[in-house]
Parts: sequence; C-alpha cells; structure tokens
Amino acid sequence: MPTITVHQADVEALLGEPFSPDVFEEQLALVKGELDDFDPKSGEIRVELNDTNRPDLWCVEGVVRQIRARRQGRGDVYPFFREGRDTPHELIVDPSVSEVRPFVGACVARGVTVDDTLLAQLIQTQEKVCDVFGRKRRSIAIGIYAAGKLAWPLHYKAVSPTEVRFVPLGMDEPLTLAEIAAMHPKGQQYAPIVADHGRWPLLADNAGTVLSFPPVINSRAVGEVKVGDSELFLEVTGTNLRMVTLVVNILATNMADRGARIEPVRVRYPEATEFGAEVTMPRPIARELRVELDAFTRALGDAVDADEVARELTAYGFSVRADGGAVTVHAPEYRDDLLHTVDVIEDFAIARGYDSFAALMPQEFTVGGLLPIESLADRVREHMVGLGFQEVLSNILVSREELTDHMELHGASLVEVANVMSASYSVLRNAVLPSLLRVERESGKAFYPHQLFEVGEVALPRPDAPMGSETRTQMAALVAHPEANFSELAARLEMLSYYLNVDHTLEPVDHASYIPGRAGRITVGGVSIGLIGELSPEVLGHWGITVPCAAFEVDLSALLPG
Amino acid sequence: MTLSNLESLTASLHPLEIAVVNALSGSAETTDAALAEAAGLDGARRDMACGWLVEKGIIECSRESVSHTVALTETGQRYAERGTPEARIITLLQTGSEVTLANLAELLELDQAEAGTAVGTLKKATIVTSGAGGALELVPGADLSAVEAVTGLIATVESAGRLEQSSLSAEQQELLAGLHRKRGKAKGVFRVDERRSRSYLLTRLGMEVAQRVAGRVTGDQLGQLTADLLASGAWKGKAFRRYNIMLKPARVAMGRKHPYRQFLDVVKAKMVAMGFQQMSSSLVQNEFWNNDALFMPQFHPARDIHDAYFVADPKHSRPVEEPFFSNVAAVHANGGGTGSTGWNYTFREMQARRLVLRSQGTADSAHKLAEGPAVPGKYFSIARCFRYDQVDATHAPDFFQVEGIVLGHQINFRTLLGLLQLFARELAKATEVKFLPAYFPFTEPSVEMHARHPRLGWIELGGAGLFRPEVTLPMGVDVPVIAWGLGLDRMAMVALGLHDIRDLFSSDLELVRTMRMPV
Repeated sequence: MPTITVHQADVEALLGEPFSPDVFEEQLALVKGELDDFDPKSGEIRVELNDTNRPDLWCVEGVVRQIRARRQGRGDVYPFFREGRDTPHELIVDPSVSEVRPFVGACVARGVTVDDTLLAQLIQTQEKVCDVFGRKRRSIAIGIYAAGKLAWPLHYKAVSPTEVRFVPLGMDEPLTLAEIAAMHPKGQQYAPIVADHGRWPLLADNAGTVLSFPPVINSRAVGEVKVGDSELFLEVTGTNLRMVTLVVNILATNMADRGARIEPVRVRYPEATEFGAEVTMPRPIARELRVELDAFTRALGDAVDADEVARELTAYGFSVRADGGAVTVHAPEYRDDLLHTVDVIEDFAIARGYDSFAALMPQEFTVGGLLPIESLADRVREHMVGLGFQEVLSNILVSREELTDHMELHGASLVEVANVMSASYSVLRNAVLPSLLRVERESGKAFYPHQLFEVGEVALPRPDAPMGSETRTQMAALVAHPEANFSELAARLEMLSYYLNVDHTLEPVDHASYIPGRAGRITVGGVSIGLIGELSPEVLGHWGITVPCAAFEVDLSALLPG
Repeated sequence: MTLSNLESLTASLHPLEIAVVNALSGSAETTDAALAEAAGLDGARRDMACGWLVEKGIIECSRESVSHTVALTETGQRYAERGTPEARIITLLQTGSEVTLANLAELLELDQAEAGTAVGTLKKATIVTSGAGGALELVPGADLSAVEAVTGLIATVESAGRLEQSSLSAEQQELLAGLHRKRGKAKGVFRVDERRSRSYLLTRLGMEVAQRVAGRVTGDQLGQLTADLLASGAWKGKAFRRYNIMLKPARVAMGRKHPYRQFLDVVKAKMVAMGFQQMSSSLVQNEFWNNDALFMPQFHPARDIHDAYFVADPKHSRPVEEPFFSNVAAVHANGGGTGSTGWNYTFREMQARRLVLRSQGTADSAHKLAEGPAVPGKYFSIARCFRYDQVDATHAPDFFQVEGIVLGHQINFRTLLGLLQLFARELAKATEVKFLPAYFPFTEPSVEMHARHPRLGWIELGGAGLFRPEVTLPMGVDVPVIAWGLGLDRMAMVALGLHDIRDLFSSDLELVRTMRMPV
C-alpha cells in the first residue's frame, strides 16, 4: 500500500481552500486514505492510500481531485480526452518491440514551470505508480523529459544491447545498453526485466538522440527534468495497452490540475491494437456501466432513488445518466478499476458516507458450534491442566535441526519452505514435542518441576494428499525435574486415557529420541497414535537441557471417529 | 515492641527456633557448630531456624569467618596406602632393578603421565639421573628429605581424616600449597575445602523472647495436627503453636492454560454464542484457494515471492477440483458470466497449483464456499497464517487470524455494519464504533471498523465487506456473503501487558507462568 508525502501549501493550492488536519483526515475517507502524520512546522503530510486498484490516487493531485469533486458536487472536465483530436506530435513504434515491451504512450505538457515541489511530486508519482501498479517497472515504466529539445517524430524500437551508446543519467560516459545493464545501479536493478530478449527497447528522437532505455534509465541529454523547465514530455511503456493508456491519462490529468496545457501524442503501431493502429493519447478508456437502482438497494439495504444516486456519483467524479429504473455511469478517464456494478455501488456508499447507513442486526437464526477436533482438544486441555500441566503455545514454523538432529531423527521428511528467510523458520513442525523441548531449553531458571503440554497443529508430508501434506492436531506433554521418569508420565497418560474413555496399550519400541527400553508406542484399537518415553541423554544434550525429561505425544486427530 | 506483640511473637516460634533460642540464652556469642550441638540439631535445621530468627530480629550473626580444611583426594588416599610415586621409584631403584622411563609405568602400575611427572621431580631434586640407554639411576648420597616430607604430610592428613589447615606447620603449609597447585584439581593429592562459619548472638529483643521461652518445654506446644493426635485425643489440654501467617508462601507450579489460548477460547465461545460454526483447512494451501478463489489476480503485487512462503517439495498441488477451477479461471480471464470484466489475462494453472503456507485465514472461507455452506449460515475460523516478513516485535513467524463469513438472503451493507457492531460489543465491550471505507481485493463494499475500547481507546478492530460476485458465483453461492476478519492480537497483547508479538508464543516458561489476564 503506497504512502505518499505531500505539502500543506501544495494541497491548499490544488484544493483552493485552507488546510485543516482534522477536516483533511475526514476527507481522506473518500480516497480510502489514512493521515499517518502531519508536521505543522514543515507542512509535511504523510498519507497512506489503501486502494491498490486506483493508482490515480497515489499522488497529491489525485487525492485532492477526489476531494475537490465532493466540494464542487462534480468532477472537473478535461477536454483533452475528446477523441479525434489532431496533433503535430507523433511517436512511431517499430515492430521489433513487440516481443520485449510492445506498448508506449505519451503526452506533452506545456505552460507550467517546474519548481522543487512539482519536481518532488513528479518523481514520487513516478516511483509509486511504477513500483506498485507497474510491479517494479515490469508492466509499467514512466519517463519524463524536457520537451523543448526533442526532434519529432519520436521512434520506439528494439536494438541489440551493444548497438547504441548514450550517456545515461548519473554517468559521464556514453555506454551501450549492455554496459548500462552491467554497471549502472538502475541497470543492475531493472535490466533483468528485458535481459531474456535478444533486443532491448530504445526511445530516440528523429535526430537519433536517445531519450531512454525503457524501463531502465533516461539519457542525460534530454531525460533530466530541471527546476525552471516548462515544457515536459511524459512517456509510459509497458506490457498492456490499457494500463499504459491509464497511466498517460493520470499523468496528463495531474499536469492539467496544475494548470498545464496538454498536447496529445499520436502513437503509430505497426499493426492494429485494441484501440486501433493509431492511438492518440490521452484517450478515453472508461466503459459505461448500467446499474439497476434495485441493485443499490439490495446491496446496501437502503432504498435509493435515481436523483440521489446521480447526485452522489456525480460528486464522486462520474458522469451519470438516469435511465428508468437504472443509472448509466461513465467513470472519469483516469480510473480503470470498475470491474463490476458492485464497484459503482461501493463508490456511491463512499460518496454518501458510510455513517449515513444505519447498522442493522442480522436477524436470521443460525446454530453455532465447534469442530469435533476442537472440542476434543479442549477436553484434553482441561484434563492436562487438571493433571497440573502448564499449557504453552509455540510458533510452528521452526528450524529443520530442531525436528531432526536435535531429536536424533536424521533425514526426516518435512514440509519445507522454498524461499527461506531465516533457517530458524524454514520448516513446518511435524511434531509438538520439539516445541516443548525448546521451552525447557529456555527455562532452566524457572523453578521446578516443569510440567508442560501443548495442543497444536503439525504438518506431515503426504505425497498423495491434494496439498502434498496433511495437517493434524497433536498433543505433547513433557515433565522435567531431577527425578522425571517413565512411570510418572505413563500414570498421567493412563488417567488421560481413562477420562477420554479411550483404551490404549503400550508396546516397547526402539526410537532414537528415547532411552532404549524406556520407550513405548501408544496404540488404540491396534492403531499407533503416539509415543511415550524418557528422552535420551543424547537428545537432551543436543538441546542443552540439564535435567531428566520424560514425554509423550499423541495424535488427537486419530482419536476422532472416521 | 508492646507486650502483647512480644507474647504473640514468642508464641508463634517454631520448635526449631525455640531450640536455638534456648541454646543461645545465657551464653554470649556461639559458633554455629557449637549451636548445633547445644540445640541438638543437624546443620540444615540449625541454618533454617537461624535464618528465620535473624529475619524476625531475635538473633543476629555477629561474626562470619572462613576456614580451610585439608583432606586427601582419592589419589592422596592411594598414595597413603601404596606410597607416593617418587618414594616407590626410589624403593624400586634401591632394589637394583633395570628401570627406564619406558617400563617404569608398567612396573609400578602408574599411568604414563604420573610416572613422567615423578621422574621429573626426582631429577630436579637430583635424586635420580638418566644413565646409558635411558636407564634411571639413584644419585649416591642424595638428600631424600623432600620426598619423605611429602610422605609424612600424607600420613598426618590420613590419620586425622580432615584437619584445619592452620594447624599445620609453616613448612607443611608451603608443601601443601605446592602440591595443591602443581597437581591440579583432578589429580591433586590434597583437597582443600573452604568452610564458612558463623557465630550468633541474641539481640535485645531476642533476650526478652528468651526470657519468655526459658524453661518452657518445647513439647508443650503442638505443631502439626496429626491423625494420631486426633485418634488418641492427646491434643486435649495442649496449645497449638501459633503460626506466623504473614510469611510469604512458596510459589506453586500449577496446571494452567496458556493465557493467549485462553483469550482465544473466550473469542471461540463468543463466536459459538453468536451462532457461528467453526471451520478450518490445512496449513499448506495452493494459490488457488489462498488467492485465486478470492479474485486476487495472479499478477497482484501481494502475491509476490516476497509476501508468502512457498513450499519446496512438492511445488504443486494435485489438480484443482472442478467446476471450481474452470469457473475461477474464467472469472479471472473475462468475468466468466458474473457480470464482471475480469482481470483480462491468461489464467495459469500451474501458478494456481503452486503450494504456499496459508497466508490469510480467508482461504478457509473460500473452501467453505465451495463445500456448500448452509444458507443462512455463519462460520468462523482461528487460522494459523504465515507471512514472508522479517521477524520482529510486530511480526511473528506465524500468527492467528480470526476470520469468517455470514451468508443469507438478508445480508447487505447495513446488516454488515450491524454484525460489526455486534462484534465490537461482544469482543471489545465497545459501544462506540466508526466505519471507514477500506480496500480488500475480494470484497466490495469494504469497510474497516474502529471501536472505542473501554481501556485501550480507539483501536482498529477489523475489516469486512461483502464478497464480490467474482468470489461467490464461481463457488456456486448465489446469496450475498459477508466476509470479516478481526485483528485481536493487539487487544490480547495489551490485556496481557505485552509489547512484543513474539511474547504471545514465548518459550520462556517464567514469562508464560507469570502472564495473566485482568479480571
């Protein structure tokens, strides 16, 4: 979720009224935003935006635009979205880019002089949109240039990595694309996006001056916007034409909100796209949606009429046409997040204000209940507490070592994580007992005796199970004190079985974790459900435990019928 | 101290204390050894009684001294019986045997190191030299007094069993120090133990107490009431010793549920009371149930390798059950007839089958939708979830999410708000709530609830919404469904006085034993 930093003076200029943190905080509900911080001294405001489907809101212009619409009762009109405009600016797409990064869009903004604030906001918008919406430039990258230096038309093509040299931002020497990929920090970060392809994208003007190597880096010659520039060329490349168009629309609207004149750029594709072979951007992308008034009522629980719906949605930036028992809405062109009529219904609810809806208690009768395994686990926990045991609760993502070497069980098959962040949290536990031994290891100073138990989930690999493993609920108990022994624990197990009305038998077993001759397999109705024994000195040594321990573990899932 | 206090203090004395007070009365400073004898107590009981009496201000420790006693170690004992290696080598050489360093150990049944050290000592004292072929030879007329002195000291200590170091002569002490140091702890000949000895005196208060105790036979007072006393009636006419009931009792290791589990038990009970059925699914999920079924597109930023734990082997689940797989694939690609545009991309089966550790409890809700839930129906789960995060004070490696769904013909945005209000009242005792617009990929409208907790103030209690049709219709559910999730960790942590989420899963028994819930 993007967090942006904006300035009080900038908000006031865009909103046209004085800033108040309390009012602003309330207004942020319109954009699903939260006021993280406001520093009255510097005027710096930090806002967190929660809607990952609305990149138009990840900038001060977009946030204020939504608030402004509410204030005005309608959204602003942006004439440059009209179709069929003529423009002198043309960008020609070469067929060579079709494999590596097929789409580009652009516009020119004139008449606003770049100052420190605008420069900072432009860079922030570029970063947020490219990182989150553009998935770290994989699907969207933005370039901004001083437009006055360009020789039109521009050309977007793919070239061999060693064919062209230019001086990238942040360097003094001309480098090939391959050299940028290898040496430039941005190259190392972003060139992997195109590295699998034989030819890499390049944007150049008609005089052969390189603008950029998308999605990696701009050229120093024309790709560095400075304070004082007043003609900007804004360009977007990507893998999806709708997304590219949406981002061009957002950037154009943002500049227009600051008073810029937007000049479209006609992009000539080698073959037809979903918007045709010639795409003039910015351009309309929004679909019309027809929503029955009944659908509002059903979803929201309040009867609505066409006037109210039209009024609220208009104040949220939509164009609305009432049409019998329905409304037809057209979203503003800087939004492409309406997948379903429910999205329009939510916008209506937000526009009207959530607090305008009276809460209503659900009336339908239902019967509550616990899962059988939960009820059984709760019974077992009661009994263990009655036997004097302290319940513990452990994390179940643990280290491989604790489940294997520490238990003298080498090479056990486990559910293991592929993208390990830390070896301490790399496998799901396959038994509860190691969790208790971990507590014992950490608790030598806690007064004795220690009687511990835990009921919890474990994961066992099962190649033939749908998810490749099975989750079961097991219970382990451990006693640790200078005289801890098998009989003490066997007596507890006997009592537990008795009160669970389960008949268990113990059969001698050799198990590496336990002292030979002091370990038993716990079986119920001929089925093995667990182990009991005195832990071997080797195991205690691995854990660094210095008092004798006896333990048992049973699979509670196995006790359930079926 | 008032008279009555003095009386009750005297009356409350334990028989052991009375024995000590009696032994001390009339005498001045008494050492603990003498005290034990006079009071007829062993060391442990004497120390216990003295500890109590010092605590009560009846006696005081007037002097504490440290003394050292000398005894033989096992090695020393052996030397006392068979002679020191040095003495035995001299005796052997005096018989004229052919002795080299190599066969010495075997001849005398010594270990090699012991034999080597002894020969080294003898050579240094010029008692023995090495001749041709390494044969050991006695130096004629050598001074054997040093070897004899050691033998003498060993004999002295052996006959005493244990003696005060200070009773040894200066030469003997020097010799002892050398042997003690030179031999090291394990193989030393002598063991020197430090003993602390205390002397006690009655305090001014103690003297008054002693006067009252004096002459009284301790047996007059009864201690523990026993079955024998009851049977014989021997308690009649006697007084019971008064206890000091204000002593802080010892801690008891009692059986107890884990406090966070107990908190979750309360949540569970509330859920059942509100008509919710429990549901669950497995710790390992495929991406289909973890994400796809919840209409999160396969290119969603939160599905990155950096947000979930992927399973190493096997990497993929079995094929996803039909018709759910086809329905969800269609909904992602083009809306699949749900009235949605879908996400407009090619849905990949192998990504859907990629195995992950459950990253959100909503996966359980997705399974429940596919299972054919009851309508009307209410479900909850307390699901262990995993996120790919650096573990720190706000991120545990795994944690619980309390989540669920409500299905019914009456379900809409207003009943959703009503349900959340009910949760706030039942789980946080909050009557004041705020609803804010929120974003979740699988609900629309979505809402975040803040509630004013009586002690914590405003807290974010949870998020909820109405499942998108893109989530319910592919599962065959055509009634509105509320999806809700509660953030209860913070509430539990504050209730337990914790500041680090990892402490909810602590391996520190002392912490677990001392955590408690306010009433």
